[in-house]
Amino acid sequence: MTYLIREATAIDLEPIMAIEVECFVNDAWSKENMQSELAAPHTYYLVAVFEDFVVGYAGSSQLDGATQADIQTIAVKPNQRGSGIGRALMVALTKEAKRRGAKEIFLEVRADNTVAQKLYKIFGFKQIGLRKQYYKPDGVDAFVMKTSLLPEVVAEPLVLGIETSCDETGIGIVRGNTLLANVISSSMELHARFGGVVPEVAARAHLEALLPVLEQALAEANVTLDDLDAIAVTNGPGLAGALMVGVGAAKALAVATGKPIYAVNHLVGHVGADILDQGSLTVPTIALLVSGGHTSLLLVKDLLNDVQLLGETIDDAAGEAFDKVARVLGLPYPGGPEIDRAALGGNPAAIRFPRGLTLPKDMDEHRYDFSFSGLKTAVARHVELAESKGEEFVVADVAASFREAVVDVLVNKAIAACLDHKIHRLLLGGGVIANSRLREVAIAKCADNGIELRIPPLSLCTDNGAMIAILGSQLVQAGYAPSTLDFSADSTLSVTTIQS
Amino acid sequence: MNTVTSTKLPNYSLAIDTSAGTTVALLSLGSVVAEVNYLEPMTHSERIGSAIQTVLKQGQVSPRDIYQVVVGRGPGPFTGLRVGLAAAKFFAIGANAELVGVCSLDAIAYSYYLANPDESLPLLVTTDARRKEVFWALYAGIIEGVPIRVEGPSVNKPEYLTEYLSGQKHVLCDLPITASALGQVAYYQALTDIGPSKDSSPIYLREPDAVPGKAKKVSG
Repeated sequence: MTYLIREATAIDLEPIMAIEVECFVNDAWSKENMQSELAAPHTYYLVAVFEDFVVGYAGSSQLDGATQADIQTIAVKPNQRGSGIGRALMVALTKEAKRRGAKEIFLEVRADNTVAQKLYKIFGFKQIGLRKQYYKPDGVDAFVMKTSLLPEVVAEPLVLGIETSCDETGIGIVRGNTLLANVISSSMELHARFGGVVPEVAARAHLEALLPVLEQALAEANVTLDDLDAIAVTNGPGLAGALMVGVGAAKALAVATGKPIYAVNHLVGHVGADILDQGSLTVPTIALLVSGGHTSLLLVKDLLNDVQLLGETIDDAAGEAFDKVARVLGLPYPGGPEIDRAALGGNPAAIRFPRGLTLPKDMDEHRYDFSFSGLKTAVARHVELAESKGEEFVVADVAASFREAVVDVLVNKAIAACLDHKIHRLLLGGGVIANSRLREVAIAKCADNGIELRIPPLSLCTDNGAMIAILGSQLVQAGYAPSTLDFSADSTLSVTTIQS
Repeated sequence: MNTVTSTKLPNYSLAIDTSAGTTVALLSLGSVVAEVNYLEPMTHSERIGSAIQTVLKQGQVSPRDIYQVVVGRGPGPFTGLRVGLAAAKFFAIGANAELVGVCSLDAIAYSYYLANPDESLPLLVTTDARRKEVFWALYAGIIEGVPIRVEGPSVNKPEYLTEYLSGQKHVLCDLPITASALGQVAYYQALTDIGPSKDSSPIYLREPDAVPGKAKKVSG
C-alpha cells in the first residue's frame, strides 16, 4: 500500500479522534486535549494518509532548544496494521526530533501493550522506569522508555555486510551507496558429488572461509575495522546452521569493535543489490528472486518499510529443479549452467512439459506461487520411458524443453504480477538469473508489455555480502536504530521482517 | 592468518565455549573476573553477543584490553560449536587479540581436578555426542594446571567404551564445561614451554551426514 505521511493540521482532528477512541478506548484523550496538542507550538504531529483517509497518527513534544523529546502518542487503525505505518511514523518523528536538536527521546507505554513495545525496541528504546497504575481507569502500569539518538545520521556510512545463508561466504563493504568490496568464497565444489547443497558441508566451509574473506574484503576496500560505521549480517531466511556462523561472527565483531549491528533479511538484500548497480532503487517494483534455495515473487513499495511476499515455490526452488533434472540427465552439479549448455541447439518445443500452478483452478489459489517438483518428475518419466523402450532421447531437446517450462512459468507469473499491480517495473535477482534463456525471455516479454526490466550484474545477483552491506547502509542512512544483540538466526524469516 | 603485533599487557583474556551450552568468561591472569553460563543447547547464536558484552561490562574491561581469546574447539554438536568458534575468530580480529584453541574436554578435566586434587585414578571425561554416542577423552592427571590427556578426544558408543576400559580402574566425570576452566587451562598452558595451541579449528570427529546423490527412479 502506498501511504503518505504529512504534518497534521486542525482539519485532521475528527479522523484522529475516531482512531484515538478505537485504539485507546478507556484511555482515549478528549477531543479538547487532542485539539490543543495539535495546536501547541512545541508539538509535532503527523498523520499517515491512505487513499485520502487518515489511517494513523503520531506526535511528539519538544520545548524550544531542548535536547530531550517526548513521544506523546502513536496509533494506527487496527485494520491497517502490519504494513509499516507505525515504523514510518516513528522514523519521521525521530528525524524531526534530531533536526530540532534532541539527543534523547522518552515515552510511556502501557505495560500490557507488547505490540507497541516491540516497535519501540526496534528504534532502540529501552525501559528505564515504571509508573505504577499510570493508566486510569484500568489501573495499568506504564513503562518509561528512552532511546539515545546517534549524534549525527552518517551521510555516507561505511558498512560491512556478512552473508552466510547458503553455500556462499560473502563479505561486502559499501560506503553510502557505493560498492568498495564484494568478496565471495563458495563451497559449491564441495557439494558437487552430493548433487546439491549439504547444509553441514556448507556450514563447515563458512567457518573456514570467514576470516580470509574478511581480510580480503578489508584489503580490497582499503579500510580497517576501525573505519566502519556499522556491521550488517543476514539473519534469515536460509540454512539454519549456515546462518548461525555468520550471526555468531558478526555479533562478536560488533562487540569487539563497538560498532552497531543490523540484522537484515537475505531476500530484501537481493532487492537492495540494485542500488549498488544503479545508485538507487526505483520503487514500487515487482522483484523475482530465483536461486537454488528460493523462488519468490515480491512486491516492493519501500525497501526499508514495505516489502510483501506475493508468492513463492510450494516445493522445490527453481535452482533445485535444475540440479535434479541435471542428475536425471547424467549432468554434473550445479545443474543450471549444465542444462544451459546441454540445451544448445535443442528444440524447446520438442516436449511439452507441464507448467506448474498455471491451470485455471491453480491460478485462483496460487496465482503467484510456483511448483517445480511435478516438472522434475515429468522429465524423469520421459527419460525413463525412453530408456525402458530402448529408445534414444535427444538430451538437447529434453534440456531445452525443461528449461523452457521453468522460464515460462517464472516470467509469465512475474509479468502477471506487474500487470495486476499496475507496476511497470521488474527486478531480477538470485543465482538462476545467470540462465541465458531466462534473461532472453524476460527481456522480450517485458518489452512486449512495456515493463522496465532491471537485471543487476551477476556478481550482485548471486548470494553476496555487498547486498547485505547496502541494505544495512540504507537503514543507517534512514536513521534506523541498530538491532539488539539477542536477535536469532531464523531459517524461515518472513520477507516482511526487513530488519530484526 | 590473524597475525597480532600487539603490545598489550598479557592481562585480560576472554574465554568462549559453545560445545554444550553457551559459556563465556573474562579472566585476569588466570583468575575469573566474570562469567556467564547458559546451559540450554539451542540458543548459541542468540546468546553469544550479549554474553560477551555482559562479561566485559561486569569486568569493566574494554574489548581493546583483551590480549587473548581462548576458544573451546569441542568436540560438541557441530551447529552450536561453530557459533563460538566463529565468534572467537571475529572477536579476536576485531579486538586485535591473539586466538588460541583448547579441547573442551580438557576444561572439564581441569574442573574435576580442581575439586579433586588428590585423584590418582585415570579420569574419563564424557560429553553427550547425541545418536547414543559420547565424546570422550582419558586423562592421567594434571601437571601445573594442565590436564594430561592420554587418549581421545574420540566418539564412540558407551558400550564400546565400557568394554575398552574394562579391567582398567578409572573415575568418570561428566561435569558441565565452563569458560572459566577453559581460560584457566590456556593460562596454565602459557606457563609451560609448549604454550597454548594457535589451532582454533573445530574438533568434529564425525564426517557430515551426506551420501553422494544420484537420480531416483520415478516410474515403474
